[in-house]
Amino acid sequence: MAVAAPASLLGDLLALPRPGHWPDLRARAEAALEGRDLPTTREEAWKYTDLKPLREFAFRPSAAPAPGAPAMLPEAPGTRIAFLNGAFAPHLSNLSALPPGVRLLRLTQATEAAQGFGTLVAPGGDPFADLNTARFTEGALLVIPAGLRVETVLHVVFCNAGTAEAPALSLPRLHVVLEKGAQATLVEEHLGTGTYLSCPVAEVVLHEGARLHHERIQRESLEAFHLASLGARLEGHAAYALRTVHLGSRLGRLVPEITLAQSEAELELDGLALLDGSQLVDTHSRIAHAVPACRTRQLYKSIVDGESRSVFNGRIHVMPGAQQTDARQQARSLLLSERARVDAKPELEIYADDVKCAHGAAIGQLDPEELFYLQSRGMTPALARNLLTYAFAADVLATIPVPSLRRQLRKAVLERTHADGLEL
Amino acid sequence: MLSIRGLKARIGANEVLRGIDLEVNAGEVHAIMGPNGSGKSTLGKVLAGHPSYEVTEGEVLFDGKNLFELEADERARAGLFLGFQHPIEVPGVSNAQFLRLAYNKKAEADGRDELDPLEFDDFVRVKVADVKMDPAFLDRSLNEGFSGGEKKRNEILQMAVLEPRLAILDELDSGLDIDALRVLGEAVNRQMKPERALLLITHFPRLLETIHPTQVHVLSQGRIVKRGGKELAMELEERGYDWVKAEAAAAGRA
Ligand SMILES: Nc1ncnc2c1ncn2[C@@H]1O[C@H](COP(=O)(O)OP(=O)(O)OP(=O)(O)O)[C@@H](O)[C@H]1O
Ligand SMILES: [Mg+2]
Repeated sequence: MAVAAPASLLGDLLALPRPGHWPDLRARAEAALEGRDLPTTREEAWKYTDLKPLREFAFRPSAAPAPGAPAMLPEAPGTRIAFLNGAFAPHLSNLSALPPGVRLLRLTQATEAAQGFGTLVAPGGDPFADLNTARFTEGALLVIPAGLRVETVLHVVFCNAGTAEAPALSLPRLHVVLEKGAQATLVEEHLGTGTYLSCPVAEVVLHEGARLHHERIQRESLEAFHLASLGARLEGHAAYALRTVHLGSRLGRLVPEITLAQSEAELELDGLALLDGSQLVDTHSRIAHAVPACRTRQLYKSIVDGESRSVFNGRIHVMPGAQQTDARQQARSLLLSERARVDAKPELEIYADDVKCAHGAAIGQLDPEELFYLQSRGMTPALARNLLTYAFAADVLATIPVPSLRRQLRKAVLERTHADGLEL
Repeated sequence: MLSIRGLKARIGANEVLRGIDLEVNAGEVHAIMGPNGSGKSTLGKVLAGHPSYEVTEGEVLFDGKNLFELEADERARAGLFLGFQHPIEVPGVSNAQFLRLAYNKKAEADGRDELDPLEFDDFVRVKVADVKMDPAFLDRSLNEGFSGGEKKRNEILQMAVLEPRLAILDELDSGLDIDALRVLGEAVNRQMKPERALLLITHFPRLLETIHPTQVHVLSQGRIVKRGGKELAMELEERGYDWVKAEAAAAGRA
């Protein structure tokens, strides 16, 4: 069973030795965490996400043996960097086929400065991000030089492993810079086995005209905690397509904080959470339109079954002067069980007058007309329900530009929704 | 094949069907016409088993068996097909996946072999060509973003794949351009076999120029108020429905 509850999880972890590199940044994160305990549901940002279960475990960094090798993406042959409990995993990595000019390497081995490092997820925000900043030991750096269009998919994998007796701590770190006009497709995966706490931080800098497809796949173990932050900054005419898929973890949270910092930047943010059992997944997105003429499209879908819980809080902040902002946000949930629960809260804060903004939140059951249509084609009520549930989720996956990943995820959704017979 | 006797049905407090009698034999085509709101689509949905409608009186026999003892999906697998006036969009499921699943459920019920994706691909391409559809539509999400006419074409494709013994086509002609109407009318004709039957709900005689009806029935306020041949459709086209309603009212008073 669980080890004796630690007095203060954050304090205990902060007592770990400070790793080398970035001493100033770490000192600021430590200062922000000084005397802080785990957030409680009394804090607005954690209102629906109770962290009490975290207190049952004394998470510690550990060099656990590698779990089974994660699936290779045929689209990323020799362009994969992997980490195990936050440490570089050479046996799971293969960087033999990096296209010329592309830099994908360990953060601690980079000779170049990681532009904007520690500024997009800055100290003083989310405490788990601060914990990462204060104590991470390794991470991935991806730099695409100006004007380079990379066809090969780049794959960053964070594997984790722990046990209930020796619950592991993992602090994955990812830093991405696309220089002017660069283009790339990045798959960021989080997966693992057993009991552990992973607190990943990813930062993304898109310079003028850069375009990034970022697929963020969370399929952690169902005994794991995943408390993540992601910060991104878009310069003029940059286009960022971020898709976040949550299939795993008993308790998962992601805080994407994205700033459209120069005009004509475009953000497409798609999210899917497929939850069952007693899972809880919380997405707190913070999107800031700081300048005129930027565009945001956000779609967040969750399917909740069993006693699971989906929390969505999406703030779009249109700052003074950010005229001609075009921002649309939609949150849709499918409730499959009476004991499941959805808390969805869009927050549009608009301080400019010439803008097009819209948001909608819909929580519902399956549409009876759709069910009847499928039944009228010979499908049993159960199959019709499963098929529509599958379709609700698969819709978000349709635009994944990496075919093997799209198939993998569709298959995972197919299995979870029991839409058998619908082979792909 | 289909015997409708004294059928009454309602939705909520609204009694929409108020006593319908209709006999459809194998090999026959029956057209149902009538003003907006007269209950045509309701008849189709009641026959197909839509759960929102309550049958209050009467009976319907399909091959001698009580239709109302079957759920909607069982009716479909027994060979009944409803082509919707407003087909439903299902984003996330490709047309091809959906068609194959529907085909295999029917095949399973009929004791025929199911088709794997490759076999089905060969099978469906012939059907797609028959309704002159662009095969690219197979990979799109079911009806999602289809134009009105494209949805109707897709309904006929589904019919071609499922080969129902009794097809009820609810306003196949609405939303179709003149060429599409001819193409799909001919596709439906090619499917007609002596052992199959059709119930065509329509507002326009043009469709009946391609698919020749055995009989035309006029529905008004939930009752069939007039029956005739193809010429009745022409007469309605010229004169509208008022005279039929007046005749029916007079007959009712008499
Ligand atoms: N949910 C409902 N509640 C109450 N009345 C309804 C409901 N659904 C349908 N009706 C009514 O039932 C009547 C018959 O509708 P139906 O759709 O069968 O007409 P229709 O003959 O197909 O008309 P159209 O030619 O316009 O397609 C209409 O008056 C309609 O308003
Ligand atoms: Mg109708």
